[in-house]
Amino acid sequence: MTVQASTALDANIVRRLSAGEPDWLRALRDAWWRRVEEQPWPLSTEEEWRRTSLKDLPRDGDLLTDAPRADYEIDPALAARGVVFTDLATAVREHADLLQAHLGRLDTIPAQTPFWARSLAAWSGGTFLYVPKGVEVDGPLIASTSLPGGSYTYLPHTLVVLEEGASVTLLEELASPDGAATWYGGTADLQVGYGARLRYANLQRLGDAVWRIGAQRVEVGQDADVTTLNAEIGSKVGKMGLDLRMSGKGGTSKLLGLLAAGDDQHIDINSVQDLLASNTTSDLLYLSALYDQARAAFYGVTRVRSAAKQTSSYQECRNLLLSPRAGAEPIPVLEIETNDILRCGHGATAGAIDPVQRFYAQSRGLSADEAERMIVRGFFERVVAQINSEPIKARILDALVPRIGATDEMAA
Amino acid sequence: MAIPNPAVDKVPTGYRYGWNDPEMKSLHVMKKGLSRETVEEISRIKGEPQWMTDLRLKAYRHFEARPMPTWGGDMSGIDFQDIYYYVTATDKAVQSWDDVPDYIKRTYDRLGIPEAEKKYLAGVGGQYDSEVVYHNIRADLEKLGVIFLGTDEALIKYPEIFKEYFGTVIPANDNKLAALNTAVWSGGSFIYVPPGVHVELPLQAYFRINTENMGQFERTLIIADEGSSVHYVEGCTAPAYTTASLHSAVVEIIVKKGARVRYTTIQNWSHNVYNLVTKRAVAYEDSVMEWVDGNLGSHLTMKYPSIYLLGERAHGEVLSIAFAGSDQHQDAGGKIIHAAPNTTSLITSKSISQGTGRTSYRGLVKVYPGCHGSKSTVRCDALILSDEARSDTYPYMEIDEEDVTIGHEATVSKVGSEQLFYLMSRGMNEAEASAMIVNGFIEPIVKELPMEYAVEMNRLIQLQMEGSVG
Repeated sequence: MTVQASTALDANIVRRLSAGEPDWLRALRDAWWRRVEEQPWPLSTEEEWRRTSLKDLPRDGDLLTDAPRADYEIDPALAARGVVFTDLATAVREHADLLQAHLGRLDTIPAQTPFWARSLAAWSGGTFLYVPKGVEVDGPLIASTSLPGGSYTYLPHTLVVLEEGASVTLLEELASPDGAATWYGGTADLQVGYGARLRYANLQRLGDAVWRIGAQRVEVGQDADVTTLNAEIGSKVGKMGLDLRMSGKGGTSKLLGLLAAGDDQHIDINSVQDLLASNTTSDLLYLSALYDQARAAFYGVTRVRSAAKQTSSYQECRNLLLSPRAGAEPIPVLEIETNDILRCGHGATAGAIDPVQRFYAQSRGLSADEAERMIVRGFFERVVAQINSEPIKARILDALVPRIGATDEMAA
Repeated sequence: MAIPNPAVDKVPTGYRYGWNDPEMKSLHVMKKGLSRETVEEISRIKGEPQWMTDLRLKAYRHFEARPMPTWGGDMSGIDFQDIYYYVTATDKAVQSWDDVPDYIKRTYDRLGIPEAEKKYLAGVGGQYDSEVVYHNIRADLEKLGVIFLGTDEALIKYPEIFKEYFGTVIPANDNKLAALNTAVWSGGSFIYVPPGVHVELPLQAYFRINTENMGQFERTLIIADEGSSVHYVEGCTAPAYTTASLHSAVVEIIVKKGARVRYTTIQNWSHNVYNLVTKRAVAYEDSVMEWVDGNLGSHLTMKYPSIYLLGERAHGEVLSIAFAGSDQHQDAGGKIIHAAPNTTSLITSKSISQGTGRTSYRGLVKVYPGCHGSKSTVRCDALILSDEARSDTYPYMEIDEEDVTIGHEATVSKVGSEQLFYLMSRGMNEAEASAMIVNGFIEPIVKELPMEYAVEMNRLIQLQMEGSVG
């Protein structure tokens, strides 16, 4: 795979991308590029950007326009029922009506808008998944992408639309070689309709010099049920903005995260759980294991709007510090505008392995390394146990091995 | 209740402290507004040494240069040019008792405050303003070598010790409002406790804003020398009435090796005051610093008492309680900086919002590299009593050391209908039942208050609850 010699990210490249595309799409890219030009670059004084400097973001690379396409395997019977699982460019050609209705229609929180807008203006790859009304997809769909090396910019966009009562599990897996200072700015727009059920996992194994600046927007409709999981393992700098809107009455969501970081990795998550509708439930659980000089920042806001009654929400961020030079900044914020709540709270911790746990494990004959591996694996179990799909669980556990080491279960 | 300070007569300045007799002519009422000249004038009137004048001017330059904070509460209602920066006694016609709002009068009645004291609290009786004239230095304290003076007097009487510590914990350029205080400070308390001395009774001073539109910029400095202990109590639970004002104090505390300081504040400013206060303590080896901070009054309070744990095994605690009724925003919390190994800290925050009130907990726990064995727990509970009330929690944490145990937990809840039903089935009305639940909620902090304050606090909560439910 080669990187096409094209221009850096600017209005020209956006125009070139849209050459040959339908008018509606060209207009859409133009509109988002105007947002790029209007929206200032994030300031370090913005709360969400205080803990990650974008000063060294490799912004001058060429835009990757011929990105590798993942294999989008899907049961023909499902395709016959109207399920679409393909790359975004193919979807433009084959399912223009669906894309026109759903692509790039939604805004996100201001802090993420510069990257959301860039991706919607300049996407050259990404996944489109559409599940029609009432269709339940068994077994996980997997979109696995291996990116080339090189100092390029790649801003794919993933669009997932679940109509009423639909159900699906999707894993997006990303990998790239070490040593290449890539700007990876992938975004995802997950639209989950009335009574639908989505399980979405993102496994990030990008190379050790990659800057990953991502954004995910999740719209949870009435009585819908969504779980997202971000497994953050690779990259040099990882920034992920989660924008969760509980906009339909009775919706349920879980935002799960596993961070295994070492070397001089810097991972920064900012989240908003916006409870806009009544009787909604939203729980967040992010677990970080931090080795070497790795640093994890987490700034999460739970916002309960005054119109949202009888909601239940919790936000939890736990950090295991496995080296004297590791660091964590967990900041779970609550903004509650009504008293008619069932439950609202948060918890955050940071600390080393409990010496009692370590002593116990070693007293049973484990070496210090084995004890640490087992304790870290146990620490992650609260998230891992919630992954219902065995193939996805296996891939995530496997991806953790280079960082946390193998336990018997993983080696098996 | 006020006892004139005999030390006052010896202060070599051109004016006299003391109760203001209504016929007494004004001695120093400067015109409203702030300028370099105002700052110089304040220093000149007080007969201060040159270094203090210079420090005030430096702070003033910093205040001018620095923008207003953009976080926290809405401070757009503050007009710095519409404030008196220095007032001692005044010949302004005192307000009439009839002008004091009913809710304040009612509160005094319910708290059982004597008639004379009511008027004094409401600012319509005999009054005293920026200068602290209420210090009761008991003879036995003097014998122990404890210095307890107004800060202005301390500067004159103990210049060496004053210069050694003043502005070392909160420098002139710390933040915009601390810079303002440093430029125009007046009044406050100065306490020095010699090594090994334990002050058994809480030391108290009352600060009041009594002149309309008069800012209050008191400055307190407490030094607890090695192995000593002291408990200082500022303010009181009864509401202090003023028509419009800014209160911007600075409190600096130095807790030396093995010493122990507790600083208790219950502020109940009337609901038009901007209460923007910087409070910070440094705690050395094996010392203990505790802030007990209650915020009931004011329009907007922004106050985050902080503790720098600089010596091994130092311990810091912040107990914060906030009550916000309609048109009130209590943005309070605490900061703990672990800068030495094996230091421990605890922040407990209880906040209650009612009507359209808003409470925000804002806090920081920071652990520097190398501070192994440090432990910190932050616990925030919020109770929201009405549908339009709001509660926020902003707990910042920066952890740069592995061998630590740091935890934060918060819950937000409302008064449960089952709890209310149970209490009402025992014969209480809804207000009484709600008040009992709220009192139970704040109990962990109230029990740390001196008894008379605890009693007043419970009555106040009861009063706030009346007419608020249903």
